[in-house]
Amino acid sequence: MAGSPTDAEVWAALRSVTDPEYPLSIVDLGMVYGVRVAEAGVHVDMTFTSIGCPAIDMLVHDVREAVSALPGVARVDVDVVWDPPWTKDCISDRGRRVLAMYGVVC
Amino acid sequence: MTDTATRAPAEQNLIDRIAGGFVVESEEDMTPGYKKALITQLMVQGDTELMSAPAYYLASRDAPSINSRIAVTAIVHDELGHANIAYRILEDLGVDKHWLIYGRQPHEFKHPYGFDQPLENWAEMVVANGFFDRAGITLLADVHQHTSYGPLKRALVKVDREEVLHLRHGESWMKRLARAGGEVKEALQRAVDWMFPMTLEWFGLPDHLKRHSGQLVYRLKGKTNDELRQTWMAATVPLCEGIGIKVPAHWDAARQEFVLDYPFSCQYDATAKRWLFDEPLTWEQVFDRWKARGPMNERYVDMLQGAFRGWLAN
Repeated sequence: MAGSPTDAEVWAALRSVTDPEYPLSIVDLGMVYGVRVAEAGVHVDMTFTSIGCPAIDMLVHDVREAVSALPGVARVDVDVVWDPPWTKDCISDRGRRVLAMYGVVC
Repeated sequence: MTDTATRAPAEQNLIDRIAGGFVVESEEDMTPGYKKALITQLMVQGDTELMSAPAYYLASRDAPSINSRIAVTAIVHDELGHANIAYRILEDLGVDKHWLIYGRQPHEFKHPYGFDQPLENWAEMVVANGFFDRAGITLLADVHQHTSYGPLKRALVKVDREEVLHLRHGESWMKRLARAGGEVKEALQRAVDWMFPMTLEWFGLPDHLKRHSGQLVYRLKGKTNDELRQTWMAATVPLCEGIGIKVPAHWDAARQEFVLDYPFSCQYDATAKRWLFDEPLTWEQVFDRWKARGPMNERYVDMLQGAFRGWLAN
């Protein structure tokens, strides 16, 4: 897998993708369930905070753009999964601190 | 601009204080002139947001996927919330919100002519997000930055943020439809053909014809109509050129501004959705066209008021 990014590099790229409403990355929101780097490309499993989320298309697009920009990535597959269901317990400690600063209790 | 010599001393005093950075917080701070200009501005703002909702809602039925329909219905929800913000501020100024929404006749709403037009396919829906919402954010970002009325400045933080998302939805879909090519791109071009001049008209009377603007004098906004039109074109003209969509305007390097390639303004055939560039209009005639309202005016207002009337009847 010469030239492919490391898992850590993919996670770092995903941290640049932010929620449309809160100044928080999808990683801190706990929406990324897994990352696999293979010869064929990068695979991302992610979920959304609700099945009626209006930003699904937009965020999947952002994830593709962010990961594609890494050197050595020819292909990005994004799987939207609903199991396990997202709850507010998925938000990271850092995410909670940021949200608290904006007056959001979770 | 009104001659300062003819202005009442109280008006001039408030104007001078505002020029010095004074923020108006309550009715006691206002003069009659200020209050009148603010009420007009808020009514246009609230009515524009409100009337976008039925237009977008009908067009959401043309969405190509469930996720894209959810995105548009969320936009409709945002727009109704934005209307409520403007109307809620109007309530503090003594205007009855119930009357604003349910008590007026269709022609009495103060939204732009563009929201009297039907959006009849997905291309028109996303160009509305790309053009109309861009106009909305151009106007409101200027108000947010410059307004002398504190409560409105604070309320616009949320509105601006949400409008950015609508814009993003519109522009990303415009790019996608252009990339698809063929009939899809042709439909996008047809939508842009009528919606580009429609949005430019939205910003109102050209500066050289405008004698007086209470909104500028009281610093309820910062930029003139022509400056706002330039800001709007600085975003939309490169967007369209970048995706191979033609617009009747271009950048003039010598003048350092965008220049229109048609008479501003001219006659519009609302049935054929076509601008008649060979039939220039005076702005008096444009105002007459606006006042006569467009084809969807009554239906959109009925969608908003009808459920309430039905509820009263039962």
